[in-house]
Amino acid sequence: MDIEPFMLRALLTALFLGPLCGFIGVFVTARRMSFFSDTVAHAALAGVALGFWLGLPDPTLPMILFSLLIAGLILWLKERTALLNDTIMALLLSGSVALGMVILSLLRGHRGELDRYLFGDILSVGWGDAVLAFIVLVSVGSILFWKLNALALLTAHADLAHVSGIPVRWLNYGFVALLTVTVALSIRLLGIILVTSLVVIPPAAARNLARSLRQQILMSLFLGLIGAVGGVAISYPLNLPSGPCITLTLAGLFVLSLFGGRLQRPIRNLS
Amino acid sequence: MDIAFRIPKPAAVEVRDLQVQLGGTPVLRGVNLRIEAGRMVALIGPNGSGKTTLLRCLLGLQVPHSGSVRLLQEGPPNPSLLRRIGYVPQRLQLDPSFMLTVREFLAIRRPVTATWFWRPSRQIDEQLHSAVAEMDVTRLLDRPVAGLSGGQLQRVLICSSLLNEPELLLLDEPTAGVDTPGEADFYELIAEVHRRRGLTVVLVSHDLSMVYRHASRVYALNGVICCEGAPEEVMNAESLKQAYGIHFTPYHHHHHHPHSHGGHGH
Repeated sequence: MDIEPFMLRALLTALFLGPLCGFIGVFVTARRMSFFSDTVAHAALAGVALGFWLGLPDPTLPMILFSLLIAGLILWLKERTALLNDTIMALLLSGSVALGMVILSLLRGHRGELDRYLFGDILSVGWGDAVLAFIVLVSVGSILFWKLNALALLTAHADLAHVSGIPVRWLNYGFVALLTVTVALSIRLLGIILVTSLVVIPPAAARNLARSLRQQILMSLFLGLIGAVGGVAISYPLNLPSGPCITLTLAGLFVLSLFGGRLQRPIRNLS
Repeated sequence: MDIAFRIPKPAAVEVRDLQVQLGGTPVLRGVNLRIEAGRMVALIGPNGSGKTTLLRCLLGLQVPHSGSVRLLQEGPPNPSLLRRIGYVPQRLQLDPSFMLTVREFLAIRRPVTATWFWRPSRQIDEQLHSAVAEMDVTRLLDRPVAGLSGGQLQRVLICSSLLNEPELLLLDEPTAGVDTPGEADFYELIAEVHRRRGLTVVLVSHDLSMVYRHASRVYALNGVICCEGAPEEVMNAESLKQAYGIHFTPYHHHHHHPHSHGGHGH
């Protein structure tokens, strides 16, 4: 069977980004940053709109840059104001979606492209995206492994991490930047609305099965890979957008993990 | 009386005229504190007395407005100095969705990259052996940290802080999550570590009743150090009663002790 070039690009991108989202997701869920991930994803809509407005042929770069800008704004507002995290993120999420919609409405011609950014579209994945996904997998993946001790300790207790000589503030900034780039890039496959599922469901399912952090990371990597590649693979013959296909595959894996997890003794009742 | 003839030992902690304001409110109003090396002492104070702020200053987590902190006779807290200090927080902010095991938690304390990820657990256990045996956490190694009881977690936290061979151990409300019967054993365990390793131990607590049995010196904080001395002296001091606002009772229901007052002062 011949694989269409666009299908090959989409499958490769899924192969690169699925495990990476699964890996980084272990720390996103444990650090309660799912909503943060959702916010920077929605910010990408304004990036897409700005890209079209500036007449750029490919909106990947403005998407990543605008998401990074919003991520930076979240951190800045958190440090400078007394506002709660949730409030700051809800404000920036709705603000960037509104900005994106207004620009797209004014541009008129691009309204039809909205769906592919909201729900993902394998046809929109170019060779540039696949190459970028590979570069991000290698670089973000190695940084995460290199800083695994520090990240795990930061997740367990920020002050303890500081006392252990970890530059907590910079590590946090770095983690946010890596997460934002990974999420913004994954929008091509999953769309803005569903991209967080690839970051949240694999580690949640892995948690049901794993008995250690090491196992949770490895299983999350694997489940992210299966969900992303599997979702892309079924989206084409069924002629469905890739985002919902990936998310439903992941949801199926999560349900299976619940059954697998029942065989193990629950840990909560020990506390 | 004997204090006057004793040659003072070097200070593990020296705080001079420390002042901190939080949101415009003065929390520490000129704290002076000198903790001798090798002692096991208690830093006590009611809620809102500035205990946590003082501890944060000692750990370099809070920058004072004025005054100075000197640790281990070297200077203010910095990364290389903090490596010689063991800090035991009250609890971890750990989410149950994070499957970190006790063995992994102990292994990540090393500043190097995560070699534990690829190593068999037997090799990790060999590296951790002495501290693990000392704190009796061998049976807990495969358990997820998020599922430990308060007492088990405290033992694991102390064990992890001992891995760096610290010269100074700071414990923040060490028995906050420990049940009452476990409390006595717990302080015995810390006292044992103190005796064996000869390090300086600072217990930060709002509760004097258990602390005073093991501490050789008590510092009572209420914005300033309002009194200090041997536990018996501090407990009977007029200034402490004023600081707490009530008559302080070191009564503890399952221990019979000559200092017990048998009732609460209201």
